[in-house]
This record gives sequence, structure tokens and C-alpha cells, in this order.
Amino acid sequence: MALLEYALIGGILYGIFFSLVGIGLNLIFGVMRIINLAHGQFIMLGGFGAYMLARGMGLNPLFGIPLAIAGGIVIGYPLYYGVVPRLQKSQDPEMLSFILFFGIAQMIEAVAVFAFGADQRSLPQDALGSGNIGVLGQEFPDSWWVACLVSVLAMLGLYLYFSRTRLGFATRAIMADRDEARATGIDVDRVSAIALIIGIALAGIAGVFVPYLIGSVSSSIGDGLTTTSFAIIIIGSLGNPLGTVVGGLVFGVGTMLMQTYYSSWSNLAPYALLLAIVLVRPSGLLGRAVRRA
Amino acid sequence: MRTHLKRAWTACAAGLLASGLALSAAAAQTAPSEIKIGTLYASSGPFAVASEGQYHGLQYWAAGVNKSGGVFVKAFNKKIPVKIVAYDDQSSTATATTLYNQLITQDHVDILMADFGSVLTSVAIPLAAEHHMLLIDPTGSGANFFTKKTNYLADVSIPSSTVWPLPLAHFILAQKIKRVAIVYGSNDFDASQAETLKATLEKGGVKPVYYHGVPTTESNYTVLLHTIAAHNPEAVIELGYAPNDIAFLHALAGSGLHFNMTFTIFPGQLLALMEKNVGAKTLAYTYTYPTPPLVAYPKTTLGPNTAAFVKEFTAAEKAAPNFLDAAGFNTGLIMQQMLATAPKFTQLDFHQALMDMSGKTTTLLGEFKINSHGAQMGELPPVAQLVPAGKGVTPVVVYPQDKATGKAIYPAPKK
Repeated sequence: MALLEYALIGGILYGIFFSLVGIGLNLIFGVMRIINLAHGQFIMLGGFGAYMLARGMGLNPLFGIPLAIAGGIVIGYPLYYGVVPRLQKSQDPEMLSFILFFGIAQMIEAVAVFAFGADQRSLPQDALGSGNIGVLGQEFPDSWWVACLVSVLAMLGLYLYFSRTRLGFATRAIMADRDEARATGIDVDRVSAIALIIGIALAGIAGVFVPYLIGSVSSSIGDGLTTTSFAIIIIGSLGNPLGTVVGGLVFGVGTMLMQTYYSSWSNLAPYALLLAIVLVRPSGLLGRAVRRA
Repeated sequence: MRTHLKRAWTACAAGLLASGLALSAAAAQTAPSEIKIGTLYASSGPFAVASEGQYHGLQYWAAGVNKSGGVFVKAFNKKIPVKIVAYDDQSSTATATTLYNQLITQDHVDILMADFGSVLTSVAIPLAAEHHMLLIDPTGSGANFFTKKTNYLADVSIPSSTVWPLPLAHFILAQKIKRVAIVYGSNDFDASQAETLKATLEKGGVKPVYYHGVPTTESNYTVLLHTIAAHNPEAVIELGYAPNDIAFLHALAGSGLHFNMTFTIFPGQLLALMEKNVGAKTLAYTYTYPTPPLVAYPKTTLGPNTAAFVKEFTAAEKAAPNFLDAAGFNTGLIMQQMLATAPKFTQLDFHQALMDMSGKTTTLLGEFKINSHGAQMGELPPVAQLVPAGKGVTPVVVYPQDKATGKAIYPAPKK
């Protein structure tokens, strides 16, 4: 029973963090209908940003969060205006974005290998606290709780953005129908550019905690994170950022339960869940309900 | 009559002379201008650090022999320069399969050498056998590679997983540790080590209390460690690649759990990388297999001893070598001796030359001893405990007794 409790609580914490890992990808797809195959590489850059701050400048890795937001602006703004409007004009923007962002992913990875080498990099173990915090008698490292807290705050911020700001309303209008939104006078390009910036920044923020949750950051972790993010957002609901939270929780709890009771197959869990959910409910777990709202 | 005989002798002599000249010409033609060694390396992915080290060691060896005019090839009775034909497989077995095939069928390399580790070697073994090429396997040790007699496989720089964990198993039995947990990566390298370890422990009356595999890509061990702790093990043995070991040791340090003995593989091969990632405090009092240059072989029959290699490599490369550099260099040395002793330039003669060297050769990695299945039975590393020394840790060999440089601190003190 204690093992089950530990796996469930660990799965929830892990899942909340992985909601943050996937949410940026879903936001970008929802707003622009482009598939950001470089999502995992943006997470990796966030991890290296935190690494440089911590190891190079002796700062707390949490300073990587504002750095990730700045990075989102510096990368997202030119990337949007340089690429997305052209993609939108094409016959098949989704497929073209697939190819284009695959290329961007490879370029980022190559630059990261050049800059940081191929080896693993970790952050100071005690930078986010050296103890453990317990819930229901089950203790987890401080770093897990900090990652979970920041993930919740980031997703709450995104929720408030969608529900309380004019830009958020405009973003939801574009997600519902891009052409109609444009017809109503919404500056689609500006709002979409901001969404791309937010998406990349959220990926970068997730990257800050990657070394704590998956042991280390290296230039080659991007593709695996992109694949995991895809599984999470499809489980939740493709195109609906808030559905990602449910996807992340299903992924986290499923992975940790498998790891506890049948560890050899733990990496199969998210993809088996993905297959089952796509077969039973192709729009994802929150597909229809949220779209109506 | 005499005139006829004279003419016949003249004709015979002319014929012999002509055929002799033709043979010499043929021999000169078949001697290649360079010996092509085909191999792969990974510049990215989970095996990149180890693979690049191995490749670097090979390049260092090739530069050294080419500086002296090349390797002596007995089949042609001359020195020939070596050329390394290498491609980047990015740690992907799918890419590696295509590239090994390219090395064999397009580049027509003379010697085929595998990339680092069992995962990237596994795809080369059937290809080499199919094309009747000897695969020089530097660091692929998976037990299932060596299940039948073959002329086309030779593990040269790392012990086979069927014998590698024996010192560890014997140490655990000698310490009278009864409750052992084993968690291993589900791949040829780790799974076969785990099987050997489990079988040897069971033979000694110790049945592991926890014995489970994890995916090779496993990166989070927090929940797993808690599951392991629920079985109350005295010793926890984690058999993985470097990224697994880093994630495992990180999770252990953050978990607040403590075990009397913790063992991981890669601190013994890539100590600097592990210290950089998990810190000396986390590594302190854990156990590993120390490999050269962490342990030294002072007497060799082929090439420099471990200390001389470290000195020469450091002077040339401006960085101290790790085990993978040494393994790449050692593989070059073995191939060099193979070419120097094989009477003909054929794959079967290369294999026979290696078999002839087996048991009679000691290099910087220890005794070179392969069996008819291609498995390396020598070069066995001992068991060491990493003890604090200054700001870092240093390995103290604790088993076997004849190689021990200190006594194990057991149980490990709480940090």
C-alpha cells in the first residue's frame, strides 16, 4: 500500500512537471497549427541556460526562469515573423512546419553539441533545497516540489492569460478559427507571435528543472522530450493547452505505477495509454468538453 | 639432341623467371597503399561521451603508427600507413546498421571495428558474419554475442559480460552480504552482466531480493529507489550506462535513502564526468569496477604499460586519458600486432593471428585472452570503493585480495 501511495504521489508530481514540458508545444499547435518539432531542443536550451547560470556564474538555477522568458522573446519573435506567415500561406502548413521545425531542431542540437559538447551536465544537487518534503508520510526531494510548484504557477499564469486578458481572449479566438478572428479585427500575427514566445518560454522554464527530474541535461535529450510531449498533449487534447495538464498527470502516474510494479516496461506506459486513448477517444481526454467552453 | 635439351632448359628457365617476376608483380599489386580501418563513432546521443573517447584513442594510435611509416603487415612484408574511415552513427542502432553496411560494401575497408558498447556493436555482428569479415569489437561485451564458435568476432578491450561481474559477485559473497538488489538496463551489456551476477550470487546462496530491468533510456530513479528500499537490501547494484548512473546517483542523493553498499559501473570508466555531474560527496563510499588508467598494469608484452601510456597521451593530447581513450588505443595496438603476425591478408588469417596472441599477450589493459566464441576472458577489472581524497574521490581496490590496495569501508558511512 505504501508503495502504491508513493507511486501515485510521485506520479502526480512528475506528471505536473511533464504538463509544463508539453504545454508549450500544445499552445503553439493550438494557435498556429504548426508542429514544433524543435520543442524538446528549446527545453534542452533552458536546461543549458540554467547550467551556465549555476556553474558559470554561481547563481541559483531558478534565475534560469527569467532567462528562459528572455530567450523566448529573442528566439520566438524573429522565428514567428521569419517563418510562420509564410507557412500559413502554403497548401499544407502542418506538414511543412513538420519538416521546417525538424531542420531547426537538428540545427539547435548541432549548435548545442558545438557549444557544450556531448556529455551530460547536472545542476548543484542542493540548489533547490537539500532535504525532502513529505505528504501522507511519503517523502520526495525538495527539487521535485519546487519543479511542481513552478509548473503549477506557470500553468495558472497561462490560465489567467487565457481567461482574464484581452490578448488571451484573442488567442482563444484564433485557436477557434484563425480566419474568423482576423475578420473580427484581431491582429492575428501579433497575438500568434506572443503565443509562440510564450510556448518557447514555457519550454525553456521546463528545461530549468530537467536536470533535477531526469538526472542531467545533454545536447541529445531534445528528440526524446519532443516525443514524450507529443504523447502527453495527444492524451490530453491536441490543440487545447489546458488538456495537457490531464495528459501530463496520466503520463506521470502511469509511468510511476509501471516503474513500481513492472519497471522494464515503464517507458511503454505513455505510448500504450496514447494508443488506447486515441482508439477510444480520438480527440483526447478533454477534447470536446473544453472546446465547448 | 643436345641442342633440343639446351633449348628446353632455356625455355624452362625463361618460364620460371617470367612466372617469378609475375608473382612478385602480383604481390606488389595486391599490397594496398593504405590499410583502411572502418569504424563508427557517436557525436551525439547517450553513448557520445564514451564513443568519442574510444574513437579518440584509436585516432591517437593511428597518428602514432603513421608517424613511423605505418603498421608492419607481414603478408606484404612492409610497413603500410593506416587510414581510418569513420562515420557518425549518432548513438542510433538504425543509423549504425546502414553505416556498417556502407563500410563493408561501399568503402571495402580492410578491417571492421565496432563503435562503443554492446548496443552499437550488436547490429554489426550479424553484418560482419554475413560478409565474412572479422569484427574487431573494442567494448561490446554482451554475453549473447558469444554463444557460438565464430571466426568473425573478437572482443579485444573489455571483458565479456559472462565473466566481468565475477569479482563483484565474489566480493559480495566474501562480505557476507545477504540482501542484494539488482537494477539493470534492458540491453545486451547490462542485462547479461545482471544475469551473470545473479547466477553467481545464487550459486553462493544469495538470492537477490530485488531483480528488475529498466529501459536503457531510464532517467528517473526516485520512485524506483523507494521500491528497492521497500525490500530492505544491504547492497544496491545499478548496472547501466553513464547517463543511467548519473540519474541513479542523483536520485539516491536526493532521496535521503542510505544503503550499506551502492555499486555503479561508469565511475570506474569516466570518473571525471561522474564527479562533475554527481559530485564527490555523492560518489563517496560507492563501489565500481576501476578500469585503466585508474588501475595500472606495469608489465606488458605489447605496447606501453598503463603509466607510460598516460604520460605519452597526456603530453600529446594535453588532457589525461580515460578508460575509453585507453580502450581505443588498445584496440589499435591489438590490430597492429594482428597485422604484424597474420601470414596472409585475409580475414581468417587475422582471426587466427588474434587467437595465437590470446593468453600470451599483456597490454595496458591487462591480459588479452579471447576464446573461440570471440569473448574476452582477460582484462578483468577488480572491485574498488571510491573514498574521499581532497576535493574528489579516489578508487581503493578492495577485491580480489591479491590486488587490494585497501580494505572496504562497510557499511558505507551515512553522508
